[in-house]
Amino acid sequence: MKLYQVALKEIARRKIRTLYTTSSIALSVAMLIATLLAGIAGQKDVMLIIARYGHSLTIFPATTNETSLRSFGIGAGHYIPEDALPDIKRVYDQAIKSGWEKRGAFMMNPGLPGGVDSIEEAIFTPRLYEETTVAGKRVVVTGVRPQDEYKARFWWEVDAGQLLAGGDEVMVGKVFASVTGVKVGDTLEINRRLLTVRGILRETDSPDDYMIFGDLKTVQTVFGKPNLVSLVNVRAMCNYCPVGDAELAINQKVVGVRATSQREIAEAQHKILKNVTNVILSLVLLSLGIACMAVFNMVMGTIHNRIREVGLLKVVGASRAQLVRLFMYEAVAIGVIGGLAGYGAGYLLAITVGPALVSTAVIEGHWWHPLLAVAAATLTSVVATLYPALHVSRIRAAEAFRAL
Amino acid sequence: MTKPIAMLIGVSKVYRVGQESVRALSSVSIDIRRGDYLALTGASGSGKSTLLNIIGGIDAPSEGEVWVDGERIDRLTEQRLLQIRRKKISFVFQEPRLMPSLTALENVLLPAAFYRCADRVEERGLELLARVGLAKRASHLAHQLSGGEAQRVCIARALFNQPMLILADEPTGSLDHDTRRDIVGLLEVLNAEGNTIVMVTHDPELAGRAKRRISIRDGVIHADSGVVQPY
Repeated sequence: MKLYQVALKEIARRKIRTLYTTSSIALSVAMLIATLLAGIAGQKDVMLIIARYGHSLTIFPATTNETSLRSFGIGAGHYIPEDALPDIKRVYDQAIKSGWEKRGAFMMNPGLPGGVDSIEEAIFTPRLYEETTVAGKRVVVTGVRPQDEYKARFWWEVDAGQLLAGGDEVMVGKVFASVTGVKVGDTLEINRRLLTVRGILRETDSPDDYMIFGDLKTVQTVFGKPNLVSLVNVRAMCNYCPVGDAELAINQKVVGVRATSQREIAEAQHKILKNVTNVILSLVLLSLGIACMAVFNMVMGTIHNRIREVGLLKVVGASRAQLVRLFMYEAVAIGVIGGLAGYGAGYLLAITVGPALVSTAVIEGHWWHPLLAVAAATLTSVVATLYPALHVSRIRAAEAFRAL
Repeated sequence: MTKPIAMLIGVSKVYRVGQESVRALSSVSIDIRRGDYLALTGASGSGKSTLLNIIGGIDAPSEGEVWVDGERIDRLTEQRLLQIRRKKISFVFQEPRLMPSLTALENVLLPAAFYRCADRVEERGLELLARVGLAKRASHLAHQLSGGEAQRVCIARALFNQPMLILADEPTGSLDHDTRRDIVGLLEVLNAEGNTIVMVTHDPELAGRAKRRISIRDGVIHADSGVVQPY
């Protein structure tokens, strides 16, 4: 006969009490796990957005307030001349360099290790957007510089065919292809010019899925917009580049354009989500505290009934430490059961409710989540049981014997 | 004459109840020898249970000395007293106290959960259950046993650590007449096998069958048959 066997048999006998105790712990643990899983998934989602679109600038043509109401002015007759791109690049590079220096970075002269020219150059990807009817559907045709675009949008892959190379070819978004039934090798008439479909872009969950992409020069020719672009995306290619400084400098120094930094928006989203998750986690920890008090009250309530049991165990030779251990074994067993049940319930809750909170979030389980659930539940149970266990073990043998 | 295995010298016990002091025992001196079958008798509140607890090291005397197996125990720490109780003393109570979650055998083996007290623990438990006539009830839970059977399990448990002294506080107090006779018979057999038994009882018939009787009145030994008599 082992002490833990006595403990396990006791909790098996007190089914209602065990069920009540484990349920209150499991409920709190379920909340903890659900919040954690949904929170992590949401934050990952935002981080993915930052990885994709973050650390970049988008430079639009300056517009009037009235035209800005229509898609930020895109397609409203405002363009950036391609000739302005070298100026924009120069202002950008200078702003990044002085931004680093302002932050205390020591920039070496060009040509030396660690020199300013060792920073990976930003990628400028100009785009021309034109709306037209293709295959009976209104669609945006986008002119891009394919090689630069692939570097900036490294996640682009094709579902069928090949990526756009240039010339009289186009690549279509997944949604456009599905809606129109367009396949690789088909010919599309775009503004009275015939272009061949080279590839279908894999779904990106972005506006790219609805567009037709062609070589910038070709699209400019097709729509009669030589040397004009609708916007320029700038991908910084470094994690902590002072993109905000570049945004400010372009807006101040380059006439006819306005730059906006997307990273700041994504970071703000990330911060909000993180704060909300932290607030929920605090509430969950509070509920664990409440569960702890519920277990404490219940254990204290059963102490009176258990004094006889304690008396008997003292009679047969239990020491004070062994009595505390016996109660702790019970607490650990209840914690483990409550933790596992809570993990299961929390996971179900997360996969049910999580996507409703963050639509694109993917709930992922990790090996340490069940361990965390069991640890939190066990800690709650042990903390709740410790004082009653110490209290009851302190009863003197004579008092315990009188109870028999 | 054998050496006493337990000895009380001038033991008094005073309880404080609020502002008042209640004297439960006054200058009690007893020696208990190996093989004794001693009945402590007396009216309720006469001090016999207090005396039993003091012999068992459960309660400490206010005055006097208590010796068990040559060691003075009235000034020992709780931990040392626990060691003495584990190795040398066992208790049987009026109500048969068993752990409800355990079977009869597991209840007998319960001391093994707290200290090493026998080799081949399970075999010994089964032997003891057979000795008290419950070999076939080993796997029954406490609530599946009758009062008499439960008390037999308690006696088997009391024998598990091979104690030199069995202290029984009215072991037949809650049993019917037939069951009482069974338990008395069992205690007599155990005594005949060499176990020393000190028993508190109200029952004159049970006391009459003990080898030695000590009558207590108002915390003082009123009569001690003293000599070992055959039952």
